[in-house]
Amino acid sequence: MRRCRPLLGTFVEIVIKDQMEAFHTELISEAFASIELVQKLMGFHQHQSELSKMNHAAHLRPIQIHPWTAQVLLAAKDIHHHSRGLFDCGIGHRLIAAGLLPQHLFLEQIHFGGLADLEFLEPHLIYSRRPIRLDLGGIAKGFAVDQAVQILQSGGIAGGAVNAGGDLRVFGDAAETIFLRDPEGRRPPIDIGKLQNGAIATSGLYFARRDSCFPSHIINPTANSLEQIHHEFLGSYSVLAQECIYADALTKVFILSENAHHACFDHFKAKAIRIPA
Amino acid sequence: MNWHPHTISLLGIAALAAPITSQAKIYVSIEQAQVLLLPNQLLTQSPILISKGLQEKLRLASSIRHPFQGDRIWKAKDGSWFVVDEVVGKHEMIQYAVALSPRGTILGIEILEYVESYGYEVANPAWRKQFIGKQVNDPIKLNQDIQNIGGATLSCKHLTDGVKRVVMLYELALKEQSSKTK
Repeated sequence: MRRCRPLLGTFVEIVIKDQMEAFHTELISEAFASIELVQKLMGFHQHQSELSKMNHAAHLRPIQIHPWTAQVLLAAKDIHHHSRGLFDCGIGHRLIAAGLLPQHLFLEQIHFGGLADLEFLEPHLIYSRRPIRLDLGGIAKGFAVDQAVQILQSGGIAGGAVNAGGDLRVFGDAAETIFLRDPEGRRPPIDIGKLQNGAIATSGLYFARRDSCFPSHIINPTANSLEQIHHEFLGSYSVLAQECIYADALTKVFILSENAHHACFDHFKAKAIRIPA
Repeated sequence: MNWHPHTISLLGIAALAAPITSQAKIYVSIEQAQVLLLPNQLLTQSPILISKGLQEKLRLASSIRHPFQGDRIWKAKDGSWFVVDEVVGKHEMIQYAVALSPRGTILGIEILEYVESYGYEVANPAWRKQFIGKQVNDPIKLNQDIQNIGGATLSCKHLTDGVKRVVMLYELALKEQSSKTK
C-alpha cells in the first residue's frame, strides 16, 4: 500500500510492503500522525509550536520541551560539534531577513546567537545564553521520517519506505533502487543504486529557482561577509546515512564544505553523492 | 545501512535536450480515500452544477485557472463532504481528495495521484491539456516503474491553493446543503 499526504510543507509518502498490508491501515495513519506531531512541535510557521516558544523566550527563562524536540536538538548540537560549526540551525534570523521565513516577532537590533548558545539544564529543559532563531526545518523533517519508520517497524511491518519530499528512508530485507531527480529537470530521475535499511537526503536549489526568486535558503553560518551568507550552488548534494535526521543535516555540511570526504561523514557513517548540473 | 552504488548512471549524466517524459505515482483510489478520510460513513454522490459566476469566484479565491468539475462531490449522512479535485501546474498534476466536516473544517487530505514531467518543453500547454477534464475512471497510463525518488524538497504550495478552492466551494455552495441533510 502506498499513501501520500501534504505535511511539513511538502508531500509525505508512506509505502509498506507486507503480505498483511490490508490490516495495517491504522498503523500508516499513526505514522502520518507522528509526522504531524513533529510539525506541531518544531514548525517555524506555527507560532504556537515549541520551536516558536524557544525562539521567543529561551534566552529569558528555561523552557521545558517535548522529548522529541530534545532529541532533535541533541542531534543538532552533536552534528554542529563534529562539523566544526558548518551545520547550525540557529540561522532562522537570516532566513527571516531574506523573506524565506515568516516573522512572528518584532526583530529589534538583536545580536543573535547560534546553536552553541543553547544549553541543556535537564534532559528536557533548555536555556539559551543569547537570543536565538532556530530553524529546524530540514533536520526535523529527517527526524519525522525516522519516527514514522519506527512506528511502522515496531508495528511489525516487514518492509517499506517513508519519503518526505526527498528525505527518504527505506527499511526491511529488500534492497530498494533509489532514484534522484535530475537537478536540471530535463531528464527522468537517475538510478543511483540500491539501498537497504538506510536513508538519503538531498539538497538542491532547482525547485527554489524554478518556483521563486528568493536568495538561496542554504545559509553559511560561518560567513564573514554579507555576500557569503546565502550560499548559491548548482547541481544536487545528497548524503546517505543510517538515519534520516543525520542524512538531512549532513547535506548542509556537504554543500558548504564542497568536500565529499569531510571528516564528520566518517564519524556518522555517511556517504556523500553529488549530481552535477 | 547497506549501500550499492550504481556507478554507470552516476557518471553518465550528460545535459542533453530531452523530450517531455512523465512519471506517475498512483496512491489510493477514490473509494479507498473515502474509507480513509470518512471511515464508517455512507456516502452519496452529490454532483452540483457549477455556474459561471461560481466558477469565477473559485478562480479568484484560489488563483487556479482550470475549471472545477462539480461531478466529484460526495455527501455523508451526517453532513460531511468528500471532494475530489486536481491541480495542474507547468510541471505536475496532483489529484487529491479533501474531507470536510458539516461545518466546513478540513478533516483530512489524501493524495490520489501525482504526475511529474521532465524535459525542456514542460511549459507546453499540451502536457497540461491531457489532464483537464479527465474522467475519474480513466487514468492516463504513464511510466510507473520508478518508485523511490529523492531530490530537493518540492513545495506543496500548489496543492494548498487547490485545497483553498475546495474550502471556498464549501462556503459558496455546499454549506447551505449541509444543514438540509440532518
